[in-house]
Amino acid sequence: MEIGHLKALWRRREILQTLVRRDLRVRYARSVLGYLWTILDPLAMALIYFMIFAVIFKRPDAGHHPYFLFLLVGLLAWQWFNSSVTETSRALLAEAKLVRSTSLPRELWVIRVVIAKGVEYFLSLPILVAFTAIYMVRGDTTLNWRLVLIPIGILLQFLVQVGIGLLLAPLTVLVEDTQRVVRIIMRMAFYCTPIIYTLETVPETLRNFLYANPMSGILELYRAGLFDEPLSLKPIVASVVGTVVFMFIGSTVFGRLERSVLKEI
Amino acid sequence: MPDVMIEVDNLGIEFYRSRRRNLSLREMVLKGRNTAPTSTFWALRGVNFTVGHGEAVGLVGSNGTGKSTLLKTIAGVLIPDEGRAKIYGGVAPLIELTGGFLGELSARENIYLTAGLHGLSREAVDERFDEIVDFAGSQVRDGLDMPFRHFSSGMQVRLGFAVITTLDEPIILVDEVLAVGDAAFKEKCYKRMESLLAQNKTLFLVSHSENDLRRFCTRGIYLRKGELVADGDMDQVLKQYNADATGD
Repeated sequence: MEIGHLKALWRRREILQTLVRRDLRVRYARSVLGYLWTILDPLAMALIYFMIFAVIFKRPDAGHHPYFLFLLVGLLAWQWFNSSVTETSRALLAEAKLVRSTSLPRELWVIRVVIAKGVEYFLSLPILVAFTAIYMVRGDTTLNWRLVLIPIGILLQFLVQVGIGLLLAPLTVLVEDTQRVVRIIMRMAFYCTPIIYTLETVPETLRNFLYANPMSGILELYRAGLFDEPLSLKPIVASVVGTVVFMFIGSTVFGRLERSVLKEI
Repeated sequence: MPDVMIEVDNLGIEFYRSRRRNLSLREMVLKGRNTAPTSTFWALRGVNFTVGHGEAVGLVGSNGTGKSTLLKTIAGVLIPDEGRAKIYGGVAPLIELTGGFLGELSARENIYLTAGLHGLSREAVDERFDEIVDFAGSQVRDGLDMPFRHFSSGMQVRLGFAVITTLDEPIILVDEVLAVGDAAFKEKCYKRMESLLAQNKTLFLVSHSENDLRRFCTRGIYLRKGELVADGDMDQVLKQYNADATGD
């Protein structure tokens, strides 16, 4: 994206706010339990993996200790990533009517989904705070100064999701099967992300491959302040590089396909 | 010549005859190529004109000659393949009137949303809110907090018309939706258009109705097969168009 483009987007931030608020209202208007659903899913998943690896297989090395907290950090972040990628891939198609009737910078339709899903992520964080507090009271965990890395993680995750969204949104309009492919890739990506395991337990050759996943480094940043394990820099550097690469590919593809997309929708 | 508001310079837009979405991954993998026919045609080509401040221009031409494509390009919702269409000032597009509305939200929320999408701030909508609702009519006022999808289609369009025409942009683009709803509301629409013209707005109108064209426009632009064939006085242009239409 050129600078002029970014400026145009910044000028439209009020509209962005309107759109995000609308997304959240639609999401929470229909069901009273709306908020509960946002936190129930990751909680249920955390419980499942906890039962499997900590109770049934009794693997103390599955992740950092306490394992439930370790799972929760990863699963909440993954929920943002997964919903954001899935929804941004439909961003232009789902809002075809709006895209067709306003001349806003089209990147806005992608960014607004990432932000709306991000707000949901923020809203789900109190559950993480609550569990951290419980484990702290029980003396199972301590916080450290590396908590300051969390905002960096959030920024990276936001940017990488915008990059992926800019790549997928126009592809979905032009190639019919994109969404099916995305669904399968996302399922594989879940297991290629150190959510239920740590990178340290992964065999060396495979580990190098997992570094390429930007979410590896992002989770490392989120967890650093909650767990005492040494910070590994490799995945963090890799995820900064990955974020830049995705942003570049995404905005290039979006710019190239925008013209055809507008004729199609 | 007054200040230029719309400048169309060697504009060209190329479309695929078949829908590109036929491009399916399965097909590309199995056959190694995309079998959708790739023949293209130019919906518009080599179109040049400028529209000055306060001018009222009507676009004339039979179906499928690129009128709507031209309007959409000026509105900025299509990107040209050749040349450019530049506007100097904001646009109030009366193109897809209910395009910005969402069924799940109430009419009230939808007014803020659509006006916001077209660049009005919250405070500006607050100011015009009553004006918009008054114009849309008492039925709309009664249902302001009802989900928009429960509105009849007529009421939906009325609200759309009311919102877009209060935008206060210098350029107004109209695609066949000059008069919507029942007879009484149509008259209201015409009055609104006339008052906008009296405020020296620039109007760009696509219509098949000679009455509308003559009533609002002084200048006509005639498109045939994506090319501009005449640009001049409305009556003259209509005469030429009618002569052509009866010719074939």
